[in-house]
Amino acid sequence: MKYEAVIGLEIHVQLNAATKLFCDCPNRPGDEPNRNTCPVCLWFPGAFPRLSREALEKAVLACLALNCTIQPVSAFDQKVYYYPDLPKGFQLSQHHKPLARNGWIDIAGENGEPRRLRIHHIHLEEDVAKLVHETEGRTPISLVDFNRAGTPLIEIVSEPDMRSPHEAMEYVKTLRGQLRYTGSAECSMEKGTMRVDANISLRQEGSSGFNTKVEVKNMNSIRNVGDAIAYEIRRQTECLEKGEPIVLHTRLWDPDKRATAPMRGKFSGPCIPDPSVASIVINEEWLNEIRGMLPEMPDRKAARFSGDYGLTPDEAAAMSLERDISDFFEAAAKSGAAPRKAANWIAVHLAPALRDRGAALAETPLSAERFAALLSLLEKEIINPQSAKEVLLQLLATDESPEKIVEKGGYGQVSDAVELDALIDRVIGEHPADVADYRKGNAKVLGFLMGIAMKASKGKANPKLLREILAKRLG
Amino acid sequence: MELFTHRETDPAAVSGRPGLPLSGRRVVIQPNMSRRGWPCNAGSRALENYTALEDAAIIPRLEKSGAHLAGNSRMSELGFGLSADTTVQALIEKEADIALMTDTMGEARVAAARAGIFGFKPSWGIVSRFGLIGLVPSMECYGVAAADPADISGVMQAISGKDDRDFSMPDGELPDFSQEGKTKTGSRRAGIVKEMLSLLTDKDRGLFRENLKMLGSAGVEVVEVTFPEFELLQTAHQVIAAAEASSSAGKYDGVRYGYRAPGAKNWNDMYLDSRGAAFGTLVKAFLFQGAYFQFENYAAFENACRVRRRLVRSMENLLSELDLLVSPTCRMVRKDAAPSDVRGAYEEFILTLPANLTGQPALQVPGDPAGDCVGLHLTAKRLDDSRLLALGRRLAASRGAK
Repeated sequence: MKYEAVIGLEIHVQLNAATKLFCDCPNRPGDEPNRNTCPVCLWFPGAFPRLSREALEKAVLACLALNCTIQPVSAFDQKVYYYPDLPKGFQLSQHHKPLARNGWIDIAGENGEPRRLRIHHIHLEEDVAKLVHETEGRTPISLVDFNRAGTPLIEIVSEPDMRSPHEAMEYVKTLRGQLRYTGSAECSMEKGTMRVDANISLRQEGSSGFNTKVEVKNMNSIRNVGDAIAYEIRRQTECLEKGEPIVLHTRLWDPDKRATAPMRGKFSGPCIPDPSVASIVINEEWLNEIRGMLPEMPDRKAARFSGDYGLTPDEAAAMSLERDISDFFEAAAKSGAAPRKAANWIAVHLAPALRDRGAALAETPLSAERFAALLSLLEKEIINPQSAKEVLLQLLATDESPEKIVEKGGYGQVSDAVELDALIDRVIGEHPADVADYRKGNAKVLGFLMGIAMKASKGKANPKLLREILAKRLG
Repeated sequence: MELFTHRETDPAAVSGRPGLPLSGRRVVIQPNMSRRGWPCNAGSRALENYTALEDAAIIPRLEKSGAHLAGNSRMSELGFGLSADTTVQALIEKEADIALMTDTMGEARVAAARAGIFGFKPSWGIVSRFGLIGLVPSMECYGVAAADPADISGVMQAISGKDDRDFSMPDGELPDFSQEGKTKTGSRRAGIVKEMLSLLTDKDRGLFRENLKMLGSAGVEVVEVTFPEFELLQTAHQVIAAAEASSSAGKYDGVRYGYRAPGAKNWNDMYLDSRGAAFGTLVKAFLFQGAYFQFENYAAFENACRVRRRLVRSMENLLSELDLLVSPTCRMVRKDAAPSDVRGAYEEFILTLPANLTGQPALQVPGDPAGDCVGLHLTAKRLDDSRLLALGRRLAASRGAK
């Protein structure tokens, strides 16, 4: 029998609002434990929750970016359960009346075909505290850090539209891109500001019913999401083939063993309308204000980049994936850089350099103008590509102009034929056997000698000229 | 039994500010109304040794009106019912002039009726609950008891009004108490709910008829009306209040404050031991009921919410044809309920709890003669608080004139 996977994702995203959802404490869970707390988020008696306007704005912005319909009235419910990470015996979440419904994300499927994956709803909720279990020492103890308690989250619940690990990964990637664009969330799975839970079930291919699902948690990268789903599909397939029933339960992904294992039975309590937190009533006027804050989204931007700057679809997609990179690309192009060259240099040299440093563009002194100036030096053959790469790295560390860096570092390209002639003389003199080899017809040797000569010029030789002279002299 | 669990001793605070509406008036509050630095255990071991961190919204408002906060009374656990409550007793013993009492089922009004004074429950939501350690958010409010209805108006003028720390307050205009002394009560019609009468003994009914004469002499016409679902008011109140109480009391886990049982082996035992020892029998029974509706019978809770919405409409419809509903405030004969008998505890408030469920203002007027303790209970339209108090003053004046 052939099986088809039915996958739905529940994604928690931490909003990057300045404060917690219901109080004015800083939304900085990583600070010294229990520093960012107050009577509201510690739920002292008599305290009152007060919804943060900024958190609501960012949540609405995120919902709009995911093509959802904002509900005119939404309200908070108490998700009741007792656990030490929950200071009041319930979590404030939106169960009965979520903030937004009916969104979608477009992705490219396994074979490049367009796929529209639907979002069932998005709701606002508060995060819980962090438990630190200290098991060493005579008595094991659990410490509670309330810095995270009450920080604002949205939960994005998809329809069970995904059919493969690839689609799930693409869904997460695209969703992350859209949300980052709005500036309302960081969405880092590694840092835990985006948490993805997957619901997976199998059914006979071609059927349309839904079977018992298994929830998988604890994936800390998009790749892990794909791997965990793939593992779970294999595991469930084996179960079905052995005739074992699938039981509704939750499993944890173990990134070291690369496998899922069942976790303790989760207790799910009731959701009761909260009598104290006011309902959220959103009027069209305010909603339009938020709509106005929505930036040009990646797919639109990619289409425009293709048209305005003559980028290929791949280049346009790469340049529009991240908002800061897209702004940088466009600013560089407007400062006179050749668009395709700029796109190429951003993708091939700049992006990896940023990754190596673990830095965002805004954290470096590099401006689009200086980047364009660098490309112009390259264009005018004042420096060669190898030197340009060196200069780019320095531009990430200082705010000197590229011209100044070239001058100081002596990166200027050597295009003086006499100078290059002398250099090649030396190379030919030092490698008689290779020269003879070439002259016997081994053309490959030219490349080797080019490398030697370029190295001898400390990387500064004009490569075109160097090759010309070398070929002539060997010829 | 001591009247006060805490008394103000600072001489500056004791004198209050002169020349203001409440100057010279001593106000006793309950220990679930946060007064920075005062003990604030809400009558429960769950909040053992707890001291308020901030002032409740009403505190600076009272002080700005010149009132002097006399101290904390003794209260029933988490304000549920009246057992061991000494708040009104402080007025009888002339230790205070005005009492602020949490009113969830009718506590302030019933206590006032028994003492033969005025007791008032405002429309739900017109006083900020910031700093009130409550149990049933959708029904509870600050109730006010005083011998002189003018004092009630004075307190209401001070403490009511918008507060951006309590988002559950309604939008729109709130009652204005400042002109209340001059408010004309106008010609009024009061309805007696027929179904309510069947709850009364002959003796209760006799005393009630006597008290109704006050209304007649104040020019209020009394008619009989019907409220077929009257008995559902109590059931809906009990189901919803228990569920809300269960949630509200969820925070008393011994992790951050209050009583923590020693010696537990793990967090689960710590919860069970701490909560087991923290709550008294009645509150525990009430919380169990709430947890039952939350976890085992959510459908019944949802039903109760639906019924409540219907009862709110019925009550509003009834009051749109009348100006007031009138009943006794409580009954003469009180059965002694077992400590774990929640329904028994409710019996005492059967005539006052409708206003908590459906959100109207209600006033207990002492009977005539004042020795009787069934009182007269007037329920007015939502947000018509000011006119209700004006009528109370008129009744007080006409009685004084006799």
